[in-house]
Amino acid sequence: MHAHTHTHIHTLNQSQTQTLCVAVNMGLVMGTFSMQSNKQDRTYRKDKIDDDFELSIVCHRPEGLDKLEAQTNFSKQELQVLYRGFKNECPSGVVNEDTFKQIYAQFFPHGDASTYAHYLFNTFDSAHSGSIKFEDFIMALSTLLRGSVREKLTWTFNLYDINRDGYINKEEMTDIVRAIYDMMGKYTYPALKTDTPKQHVDAFFQKMDKNRDGVVTLDEFILSCQEDENIMRSLQLFKNVI
Amino acid sequence: MAAGVAAWLPFARAAAIGWMPVASAPMPTPPPDNRRKQDGLILLNVSGQKFQTWRNTLERYPDTLLGSTEREFFFHEETNEYFFDRDPDIFRYILNFYRTGKLHYPRQECISAYDEELAFFGIIPEIIGDCCYEEYKDRRRENQERIQDDEDSENQNDMVPPDMTFRETMWRAFENPHTSTMALVFYYVTGFFIAVSVMANVVETVPCGTLPNRVKQVSCGERYALAFFCLDTACVMIFTVEYLLRLMAAPSRWNFIKSVMSVIDVVAIMPYYIGLVMTDNEDVSGAFVTLRVFRVFRIFKFSRHSAGLRILGYTLKSCASELGFLLFSLTMAIIIFATVMFYAEKGSSASKFTSIPAAFWYTIVTMTTLGYGDMVPKTIVGKIVGSVCSLSGVLVIALPVPVIVSNFSRIYHQSQRADKRRAQKKTKLGRIAARKSGGTNAYLQYKSNEVTASKAAGQALVCKANPMFDTHHNHLLHCLEKTTNHEFVDEQTFETSLLEVSMAKHPPHSPSLSSGSSSQGLSCCSRRNKRKSFNVPNSNMTGGHRNSIQELSTIHIRERPITNSRSSLNAKFEETVPLNCKQPYITAAIITLPMPPVTRPEDDGSASSPDYSQANIVRVSAL
Repeated sequence: MHAHTHTHIHTLNQSQTQTLCVAVNMGLVMGTFSMQSNKQDRTYRKDKIDDDFELSIVCHRPEGLDKLEAQTNFSKQELQVLYRGFKNECPSGVVNEDTFKQIYAQFFPHGDASTYAHYLFNTFDSAHSGSIKFEDFIMALSTLLRGSVREKLTWTFNLYDINRDGYINKEEMTDIVRAIYDMMGKYTYPALKTDTPKQHVDAFFQKMDKNRDGVVTLDEFILSCQEDENIMRSLQLFKNVI
Repeated sequence: MAAGVAAWLPFARAAAIGWMPVASAPMPTPPPDNRRKQDGLILLNVSGQKFQTWRNTLERYPDTLLGSTEREFFFHEETNEYFFDRDPDIFRYILNFYRTGKLHYPRQECISAYDEELAFFGIIPEIIGDCCYEEYKDRRRENQERIQDDEDSENQNDMVPPDMTFRETMWRAFENPHTSTMALVFYYVTGFFIAVSVMANVVETVPCGTLPNRVKQVSCGERYALAFFCLDTACVMIFTVEYLLRLMAAPSRWNFIKSVMSVIDVVAIMPYYIGLVMTDNEDVSGAFVTLRVFRVFRIFKFSRHSAGLRILGYTLKSCASELGFLLFSLTMAIIIFATVMFYAEKGSSASKFTSIPAAFWYTIVTMTTLGYGDMVPKTIVGKIVGSVCSLSGVLVIALPVPVIVSNFSRIYHQSQRADKRRAQKKTKLGRIAARKSGGTNAYLQYKSNEVTASKAAGQALVCKANPMFDTHHNHLLHCLEKTTNHEFVDEQTFETSLLEVSMAKHPPHSPSLSSGSSSQGLSCCSRRNKRKSFNVPNSNMTGGHRNSIQELSTIHIRERPITNSRSSLNAKFEETVPLNCKQPYITAAIITLPMPPVTRPEDDGSASSPDYSQANIVRVSAL
């Protein structure tokens, strides 16, 4: 009798363990799956909410209209128009790089304007704070639209000089030219070849680098540009934009 | 491009200076920069509410009304503003579109009102922002469905083309039994025979007492075999005839054959014919018995008679994916639990769970919480698994059911709404018609006033009674009267005049004067009825139905109690010129679409017959 029950229990144990294994397996699988997705959802949502919260805290107001008028070459009405447009796109009063890229990309839907916008942003953001306030915006525009030739050329030099070391070397220039060609997009006539930017850069250096030392300094740049009539003429193109 | 970004164009152009030194070719000349006047404020007056905005804001979108020169048409010089006689609440959203570049749809506004405003201001609704686009599309779709329903019901009830062939009439009668009495009769007869056939099938199997030389009970079908066979034959005959008629009348025979109802019809009558063909062959009699099962499909023919059944079928069809999911998840669960159960109960002695498929039955019975008890687990593990099985069964079945239920509810309510709207529309149109008839009575009133007033030289009386608009309107109707040389009258006058005319023309038809007058009255009415029903080529075959006929003017609107058809605004009207005997003809002012007068019964005697002999003239009605 004992032996019989013993074997009885033994067989039970075997099938029991089998079923238990199956059941536990199922439970584990379902549980981990559900928990996994839960966790992911939660972290993602948390990040997003924090991000928006941070952005909304920052709010900046520009200095008074009179002060800005004194500092720049714009009239009061022009400043008003410019500020209204600025505030419409950026209600918080500052532009961060992503918004800047977005706005600039809207003007060039064919290609990818993000690289050139990045360089522009760095030039506008003279204080390197990561965001452009209205004053920075206005100062740059004032230089570009109403400034003297020297000021404009200095601004352009700062644009090309990516690492701000006072010299433009071939790599920086290649980056800039490639960024400009990126804005053209894929569908151009004649079709863009891979070495077109390089050729362009070589031509540029041919013209600008007076002492053939491989870099262009500010004085070389201004001198060479003043010699070129086309460039001089084109600098005056956007006088009456506002 | 977003509107606000347009304000950054100066910046983009300025930034272009960065390209200048790198440029390989000279720059093009800039476009002439006409010195724009300073940006000014524009005042927009929308029904009294004043809105103001910069001119540049509006000009961001030059292809809309406000952004283009079209707004100059609304310029009001005295107040130096632009005046729009539109809804100011909706205008808010439109103006915000100019300001922010995003168009929003307010939930509380009516979708058609909003659409109208958008159309007026030249804004396409596709630019509604993502936040509101979903809601807008949903509301729009609902509205379209409602309009489509109304159109469909209208088409069904009214738009009977006059030149329908017999085939088309028959098809229409089959599809919509309310179109004529014949169709209704047919509908009820087939319904009755379906019921009879199904009942016969059921009663056939009831035990009917014993035969004298037998011990066991025989079913009624065996006892009264001949009677049931005759009944079955009769039913199948009716069904066959019906099917053939439908097939003949169907506009697209192939489509009809493919349709579900046709398949059901065929399946319902095939067993009988197959049974006829293979009479006493022993081998196939077993199969024949199986075929008799298909006779029960006749009950599905009832779905032509019941809208609810159709909705149920349609719901199941539209919930096919949910049903499929339910089935799939159930199958998965059954297999899992059956396997576990089998291995759990393998050890126990005299276990009913002899194999996994045998365990399927237990799992199904447990998951649907039936619990017959013919198979029960004996081991502890088996009992645990069994309880988990029944719990999970409840969950798995409860999940897709609400989806199916909500689908059914939506479709059912939609059909309810359609019917309710149809009923509401009838009463609504009736009320509008009553209001309109009030208006026409006003003209008659005015005329009678004028007659009495001119007699009493009280012209001022009349003028005082009617406001300016009514005066002009009445004058217009008077002009029409003079043009057509007929007059507007009311119902009583017309009937009495008809009576007079008929009496004058048909004295020999009446046996006695009194009864003659009554019979004349009756015949007059009936003739009028017949004339009505005859003249209207769109008339339904049931007499006395009022239908819409083309009318020049809704002069005389009659509201009779209407059974099936809708009281329409353009109810028929009959006018006649009773008074002026100088008129050479009496025209019942009905527009007659071309109809041969030969079918007209006893109207020949009337003076109007010579007119009607020229049957192809569209007679000018309204006198």
